[in-house]
Amino acid sequence: MRAAPVLLALLALAARVDAQAIVTSPAPDRVAVTVYRNPDRGLEPLNLDWLGGYALVSETRHVRLPAGESELRFEGVTSGIVPQSAIVTGLGEAVLEKNRDARLLSPGALLDASLGERLLLKRTDKATGKVREQEAVVRATSDGVVLQTAGGIEALRCTGLPETLIASQVPPGLSAKPTLSVRVRSPDPVERDVTLSYITNNFDWQANYVAELSPAGDTMSLFAWLTLANGDQTGLADADTMAVAGKLNRNRVEVSPGEAKPIIISCWPQGTTSDIPLEELAKAASGELIVVTGSRIAAMAPPAPPPPPAMAERGGGDMMAEEEKLGDVKLYRIPEQVTVAAQSQKQVMLLKRPAVAVETVYRLQPSPSEFESALERVLVTRNDPAKGLGLPLPAGGVALFGRQQGRRILIGEGRVDDHAVGEKVEIRMDEAPGIRARGAVVGAGKNAEFVVTVTNDAPESRAIEIRLPLDARGARLVKYEGSVLWRARVPANGSAELRYRLDR
Amino acid sequence: MRKWILLGTALCGAAPLFAQGQLPTPGQTAQGDVAVTIYNNDRALVEDKRVLNLPAGRSRQEFRDVSAQIQPETVTLNGRGVGILEQNFDFDLLTPAALMQNAVGQEVTLVRVNPATGQEVRERARVLAANGGVVLQIGDRIEVLRDDGLPARVIFDQVPASLRARPTLSVTVQADGGGPRPVALTYLTPGLGWSADYVALFDEANSRMDVQGWVTLTNNSGTPYVNASTLLVAGAVGNSNPYQQRYYGGGYPPPPPPPPPTIDRAGTQTAGRERLGDFYLYPLPERTTIADKQTKQVSFLDVQGAPATRGYEFNNGWLTTSQEPVSASTVLRFSSSRDGGLGDALPAGTVRVYQKDARGNPQFVGEHAIDHTPMGSQIGLATGQAFDVKVRPVVEERTRLSSSRWKTRMRYTLTNATPKPITVDLFQSGLVGDTRVTDESLKSARPNADQVRWSVPVPANGEAIVTATFDSRY
Repeated sequence: MRAAPVLLALLALAARVDAQAIVTSPAPDRVAVTVYRNPDRGLEPLNLDWLGGYALVSETRHVRLPAGESELRFEGVTSGIVPQSAIVTGLGEAVLEKNRDARLLSPGALLDASLGERLLLKRTDKATGKVREQEAVVRATSDGVVLQTAGGIEALRCTGLPETLIASQVPPGLSAKPTLSVRVRSPDPVERDVTLSYITNNFDWQANYVAELSPAGDTMSLFAWLTLANGDQTGLADADTMAVAGKLNRNRVEVSPGEAKPIIISCWPQGTTSDIPLEELAKAASGELIVVTGSRIAAMAPPAPPPPPAMAERGGGDMMAEEEKLGDVKLYRIPEQVTVAAQSQKQVMLLKRPAVAVETVYRLQPSPSEFESALERVLVTRNDPAKGLGLPLPAGGVALFGRQQGRRILIGEGRVDDHAVGEKVEIRMDEAPGIRARGAVVGAGKNAEFVVTVTNDAPESRAIEIRLPLDARGARLVKYEGSVLWRARVPANGSAELRYRLDR
Repeated sequence: MRKWILLGTALCGAAPLFAQGQLPTPGQTAQGDVAVTIYNNDRALVEDKRVLNLPAGRSRQEFRDVSAQIQPETVTLNGRGVGILEQNFDFDLLTPAALMQNAVGQEVTLVRVNPATGQEVRERARVLAANGGVVLQIGDRIEVLRDDGLPARVIFDQVPASLRARPTLSVTVQADGGGPRPVALTYLTPGLGWSADYVALFDEANSRMDVQGWVTLTNNSGTPYVNASTLLVAGAVGNSNPYQQRYYGGGYPPPPPPPPPTIDRAGTQTAGRERLGDFYLYPLPERTTIADKQTKQVSFLDVQGAPATRGYEFNNGWLTTSQEPVSASTVLRFSSSRDGGLGDALPAGTVRVYQKDARGNPQFVGEHAIDHTPMGSQIGLATGQAFDVKVRPVVEERTRLSSSRWKTRMRYTLTNATPKPITVDLFQSGLVGDTRVTDESLKSARPNADQVRWSVPVPANGEAIVTATFDSRY
């Protein structure tokens, strides 16, 4: 017989817990999402399985709470939610605490919670198909399952018989997904709109620029997609959708997807005089399948995301993201509500400029030694209205197209970083195989002279820029922004030569 | 032999009694009045006041529902008239294998099932050995268990007293009289920790911010604490290297070490909070149940309209050139002082900064970790990089004066694409050896030997240029 005061205390406690009403808000009524980039991704394509960006989700939910104490559970939040970032507004002082429970309903958790409880042990006769059920108390679950039946102590599934345990209810406190909830106490019933905001992992976005160079090569049309990616299990329907450009400080928080324990079946030593494992024998005898009782939560790898579409021939009435300033970063707002589905990418037009004046420069930063290499093609412009630009340019990849007999041809790929209005913009493309440089060294030591010869296989002249260290000395060199430059034009189907020394 | 069977029967008889009388119903716990004190370094002190019904004299008491990661060497049990003889923490778990090992030399019941008819045959068997496989003696035959692969149930008469479902704390006590009496069990456990989370809504136009502070506590200890009185201590006590701790059961790895400080000037004011020694205490206002695998947040700070300003900082680490302009850091500056500040000591955690967009909805604009911050401190949080404010440092000239002396002429171009004039704190670091500024276009400050700082005003939609010459002797 146990001590009466303890029992009384426990009963009182149970009563208290029961007094708390549970109110579930199944889904948001309205949702807004702001997506932030992964600043470290660089040119790597978006991988829906591993998105390093994040998003701020703000949900409006209409809730009705009874008077007294209640637990308001928010369902339908993203699985990447960072629980400590959650903000609930609209309930004021009534909020006592916020909780996130990550104990999930799983075979192992079900059995663990049943430790010391009475369950039904169900055995099916393989020969006759007759089902026999008897009560059993779970005595241990840590490494193999030990049961107590009316007959004595037995181990689960060590017998070679098909047997399983059946519970009559789900233990309290276990949920299918990690659940965010608030404990609320209010003197009167409450009915109002509540806003839930939280930061979630599993989102990212990028800008994808599509540029087409004019036949003369002095202007390009520039167009950019805003590509949003949602790698979460939860989609956001009809969401006010925004994206933020700029690099914000954030310490990535890995969110536990919840604890999903399998049932561990282990038996006593089962060696026999045969070297065929017992399980194999049993399988061979009955054709029985081995049932997997638990598994890790893991998303199956979806197919690789499609490359950004090239600018297609489209009619009027494009939907374009609207830019606004937010503190020291840029906010792009998609003017209509859109659905950001789970495990998907979405593209909206970010900007469009019909004619941007550009210069093409071929650049090389040679080492003072013998070498042979192609020059890198760089498109140079300034982010000015005078050049046909003059708007913030968020970082992203650039696909450069040319036109050959009315047909679009990809002629280069590069990337740009974030550029403010007024900045010089350099889009570094690939190497140009026809513009090549050869380096030679004449003499040695302090008297060494370096010779760079640039050749051009094109029927037009090309502008080149050779970047040398600060101590390079030569007749045609100019100092510019911490480098010494040789700027020249290489004649059509011709070559140009530079000689310099190092002042060391 | 005969005696043994009798004992077995007695236990079998006791089993239904056990099932009816002592099974806990769901939601019940053996815990009594629980008080939990949680430190920042993944550590907690649990005090559990239970009522034990002790017989007079010696008895062995088992304590269920203690932390699954309990540090048994820190357990103490106190109760009036209760003496402690010994304390044990048993890891000998009840598993099918252990059950069989313990049955060696004893008898079990074997139920063979005919695979064709389903007919059961019962017989008693003595376990001779359980090494690799189980060797049984049935009558005068020696047999290997399930050597034929046919189904056979093994039914043990009892669970050995030494085997337990979970690691179990047991204490052998000497009581001076029988009857229920209160005892207090205290122990330390890893798996419980807390930090602070701040939500700062910055109003740039008015240079104000609203700050809400939440304490966030997490329970990964494997056990719920029911209706616990909870106290949070802002500080780390002992065990400075958490990797040296022992983990029992499904413990999570400890959190990473705290981030570098962001305190510009440490405060000297005492906050109006409870203190214990050097630590501030944050009691939760009411009792709460801390479930296993739960993250729980309770509000502790709510300040409206504290002054805050935005500043810009750029640090050039060495006397080098940047190939492209680099964004300056956006720094949110505020104070934790009584006058003109948050007016409280701030426990370590993460500050998330929000600002309203054009439609008035709060948007996230960056976060930063803070260390334990005394009241009265000046705080500068780098929340991100400014899109429109950039700096390009360029080495204009580097001249060798001797083998150990160099002269470096630097030019810094600061651009501002915002429609407001701003001031950028420009730092040049990496001034090793004896490095002096011999010439500069703007008066600098020298906060330390390694750095110089200029406060550079940059006009709206404009640029500013700072030049300086450094004379370095190594």
